Amino acid sequence: MIEARNLCKVFTDKKRGLIRAVDGVSFECHAGEIFGLLGPNGAGKTTLLRMLATILEPTSGTATVAGYDIRTQAQEVRQNIGYLSGSTALYERLTAREMVRYFGALYGLPTEAIAAQTEQIFTELDMHEFADSRCDKLSTGQKQRVSIARTIVHRPPVLFFDEPTSGLDVVAARTITRFIRRCRDENRAVVFSTHIMSEVEALCDRIAVIYRGQIVAIGTLEELRARTGRQAFEHVFLRLIGEEDT
Amino acid sequence: MIPETRPAPTPLETSPTRPPNHVWIIFRKEFSEIFRDRRTVISVIISPLLITPAIFALLGVVISGQAQKARTQTYAVGVVGGSSAPLVLQALQKTPNLRVISIPRSEAETQIKDHRLSAVAVLPDDTHAALREGRTVSVDILEDAGNQNSQTAAERLNTILGAIGQQVVAQRLRARHLPPEYARPFDITEKPIKQGGSTATFFLAMMLPYILSVSAFSGAIYAAFDQVAGEKERGTLETLLVSPASRRAIVLGKFGAVVAVCLISSLLSIAGMVITFGSGLKQYAWLSKGGLHLSPAAICVTLLVLLPLSVLFAGLLLAVSTFARNQKEAQTYLAPLFILVLAPAMISMFLNTDVGLSVALAPVLNAAIIIKQALSGTYDLAFILLASAASVLYAAAALTFATKLFQKESVLIKS
Repeated sequence: MIEARNLCKVFTDKKRGLIRAVDGVSFECHAGEIFGLLGPNGAGKTTLLRMLATILEPTSGTATVAGYDIRTQAQEVRQNIGYLSGSTALYERLTAREMVRYFGALYGLPTEAIAAQTEQIFTELDMHEFADSRCDKLSTGQKQRVSIARTIVHRPPVLFFDEPTSGLDVVAARTITRFIRRCRDENRAVVFSTHIMSEVEALCDRIAVIYRGQIVAIGTLEELRARTGRQAFEHVFLRLIGEEDT
Repeated sequence: MIPETRPAPTPLETSPTRPPNHVWIIFRKEFSEIFRDRRTVISVIISPLLITPAIFALLGVVISGQAQKARTQTYAVGVVGGSSAPLVLQALQKTPNLRVISIPRSEAETQIKDHRLSAVAVLPDDTHAALREGRTVSVDILEDAGNQNSQTAAERLNTILGAIGQQVVAQRLRARHLPPEYARPFDITEKPIKQGGSTATFFLAMMLPYILSVSAFSGAIYAAFDQVAGEKERGTLETLLVSPASRRAIVLGKFGAVVAVCLISSLLSIAGMVITFGSGLKQYAWLSKGGLHLSPAAICVTLLVLLPLSVLFAGLLLAVSTFARNQKEAQTYLAPLFILVLAPAMISMFLNTDVGLSVALAPVLNAAIIIKQALSGTYDLAFILLASAASVLYAAAALTFATKLFQKESVLIKS
């Protein structure tokens, strides 16, 4: 479903000069798989996901998402993805229902399909109670559910999650992780970026450890443990990025 | 590697007959959302319909109060040399609302400066003899140029001395057996023509271009800044960028909403001004003297000029909003931009309508002059054509600039 080939992104900074935020990243993610991107802050996870979601254009390399090229078929890519980030928010002056309707319309769904989807998603996520409340009046957990509804209104086969639980309490974070598992159960391809080890251990089928813009290792949890000879995943991670205390 | 045993789900089918019109979808959402923002409601609806008329009413109350005060207030005035002109002194003392005090010349300036006297008339020592001999008497009226009361008192002294002078002239004419008309060769009456403008229309022509420009611009500030800078700040822009809407469609939808707000803001300003000038309320009497005469052509031209002006403002504001990282940063860019709009709008208040063709190239000022011409009923076709072409060109440039800026990821995604 997702195939990244040698993706690079270089930014120009007035003070620091050229910055290679993503440097030759290649990986594959399949339907029914949760693929974890694990790396410290500033490792290039967000930039990589933004390129895959066609928000940023790669400096070199390319990728296909759901069979479409991110460089030449950006609109088709966007039609097939859902994107949820910890930093994205809601339109505060819209109600939850209006928010979902708006994105349904942007995805080109017929009016009847939007209405049907809204009903179904609101039932699935138990949102009817606050469906017609303005988003600025909702609790953090309710807002998260609206974000999820917005992300899946068009039922995309590919989903990107960029640190989706950052700043959330345990209950709100659990809503997200349950949703991510359900996406896998529905055979969707999921790329999940985080710097939280426990989330990776609990959710991901395979993991790419990303550090300074490069993928330093890819494998299942067990493969990475075997490769480093460490059990605790924190030690696995630190060893892979070469920061383990000796 | 995880084997793909089941086919991956496909996204829901889009409407087979109607591809989504992203510009319209975004415009509709932005437009309805804008008017849920209290700041926009105040600046676009409440301000022109309530606050502007209220300010003019307040001004009317203050101005009529000042005029009433000028007519009825008693002023203390001094007369130097009154003993040499007893008849003049008597006439001054009989004048209502004037307290006349004889003072020596040496105290005149001090008493005005200390606000004990509002003004002083200085009569020469030979006043009585000069009047009797038919000579002209030079009278100095001392006043404080920085004091409104002093100026009003001096004006009143001037009027009274003028009236006394008329009596002296009448006596002189009688002594020579000449009729009063002898000293008044012209009997002048100013008569406004029926088809002409009125004081109200004149004031409207002077103020409306300024008020329209400022209201179109200021009404859209919050809306424009909320559209991109606000979305960046809140983190909603990213969700829009990953939707199938192209960046061009996003910017055009948002742009349309800002243009609509500019237009609504200026149309409501016109409504506010027409209510003010045409209401007939006594608070607006100082403005609406002679009634308001607006021809359909004047209204049409005003509305037509507003469109490119709104497009220009929307383009500029949206460009600033796109460039800024957040609304606070956008506000810092606002001050110089506001001056650029305010200055030509203010200049238009003091310019006549018969300006040179080069003015037609000045953005904002050209539109203001066309509106002024339309309201005054003096159309200059060459000026209108050139100014319209220039306005459309500037508006197109502003829109292109905003659109290009929206394509730059370094501006749009500042991480």
